[in-house]
Amino acid sequence: MKPFLLSHPDTMYNCSQVYCSHSLAHTSYPCGDPYFGSSIVAYGTQAITQQMVPQMLGLASTRIALPVELAEDGPIYVNAKQYHGILRRRQSRAKLKAQNKLIKSRKPYLHESRHRHALKRVRGTGGRFLSAKQLQQFNAELVTDAHSGPGPVNVYQKKDASEAESHPSRTGKNASITFTAISGLTSMSGNSVSFRRPEHNFLGNSPNIGGSSQCSGGLTFGGGARQCTSVGR
Amino acid sequence: MSDAPASPSHESGGEQSPRGSLSGAAREQDRYLPIANISRIMKKALPPNGKIAKDAKDTMQECVSEFISFITSEASEKCQKEKRKTINGDDLLWAMATLGFEDYIEPLKVYLARYREAEGDTKGSARSGDGSARPDQVGLAGQNAQLVHQGSLNYIGLQVQPQHLVMPSMQGHE
Repeated sequence: MKPFLLSHPDTMYNCSQVYCSHSLAHTSYPCGDPYFGSSIVAYGTQAITQQMVPQMLGLASTRIALPVELAEDGPIYVNAKQYHGILRRRQSRAKLKAQNKLIKSRKPYLHESRHRHALKRVRGTGGRFLSAKQLQQFNAELVTDAHSGPGPVNVYQKKDASEAESHPSRTGKNASITFTAISGLTSMSGNSVSFRRPEHNFLGNSPNIGGSSQCSGGLTFGGGARQCTSVGR
Repeated sequence: MSDAPASPSHESGGEQSPRGSLSGAAREQDRYLPIANISRIMKKALPPNGKIAKDAKDTMQECVSEFISFITSEASEKCQKEKRKTINGDDLLWAMATLGFEDYIEPLKVYLARYREAEGDTKGSARSGDGSARPDQVGLAGQNAQLVHQGSLNYIGLQVQPQHLVMPSMQGHE
C-alpha cells in the first residue's frame, strides 16, 4: 500500500517534469541539429535500457512506462528504482543540448603538435613506429638497399603510399617532408660510428621538431612553411 | 533540485571559453573517459589475438560515461538533501543500491575498505596529488578518481591494477 501511495505522487511529479522537459526539447529544437541530437538522446536511452535488461530479469520488480516522447518504438519499460534517475538525466542532457555542449563530432586527435610528431616518426613493416634501436637497424638496411639500387625506390614508394592513405589532401607537403627525412636518415647512417651518436642525434632532433610545432600553432599554411624550413635545417 | 546540476556545467562552460581553439577537444575530455583506457580494459577480457572494432569502443565509451553520470547524479541529489558538498564512496554505494545495482555493493565495500587502508585517508576524499594537479577542480578530480577506481573493480579483482589505471587516466587528461 505505502509503496503504491509513494509512487503515485512521484508519478504526478514526474509528469510535471516531463512537461518541463518537453518544453525544453521544443525550445532547443531550432538551435542545434535536431536529427543528430535526437539520435544521441535515443541512443542514450537505448543504452540505458540495454544496461537494465539483466537487472529486470534478475530482480523481476515492477516496471513503469517511460514517456513516449523520445521512444520511437512504443513505450520503454524500465526498473522502477531508476525511473526518477533516468528522467533527471534526460533533463541534464536536454540542458546540455540547449547550451550546445553536446559532442557532435569526434576529433581524430586532441593535440595538433602530437599529431604532427606522429606523422614524422618512421614506421616499419606493419605500420608500427620504430624505436631508436630499430631505427639504427633500419638505417643499416637502408644503406644496404642503397648499394643494391632498386631498394630506396621501393622504400620511397611505400612511404609515399602510406602517407597518401593517411592524408590524401596533403600529398605534396608530405612527399617533400618524406624526401627530406630520407636524406636526413642517409646522413645519419653515414655518421653512425658508435651506438651513442645516433641516439644523441635522435634526441637532439625531437625537441627542434617540438619547438617548430609549438611555433606553428597559429596558422596552418604558415605552420607548414615553418615546418619545412626547420626540417631542412 | 534541478538547479544543482546546472551550476557545474555552467562552471565548466566558463572554463572552456578562454581556450577557443581546444573547445571541441575540451568538451570531449570533459564528457567522456579516455577511450584508450576503456579499450585497454576491454582487451583484458579477450584472448590474445582478439580485436575490438572502433564503433564498439565508442559505444562502450558512451555507456560507461553515462553510467558514471547516472550514479553520480543520484549521489549528488542525496548530498544536497543532507546539505553536504562532498560526495564520498559511501554515497556512491548508496546511490547504486537505490538504483537497483545491489549486486555491486559487496565487492565495492571490500574494495573501498582496502582502498582506504592503503591510502590512509578515512574520509575517502580526493588525494593531495589530484589536488595539486588541478587546484581549481579538486572536487571533480576526486569524484573522477573514485569512480575510475570503482569502475575498474568490475573487470579486475586485483588491488594493484587500479594504481596502474589511475596514471594513464591522468596522462590522458593531460
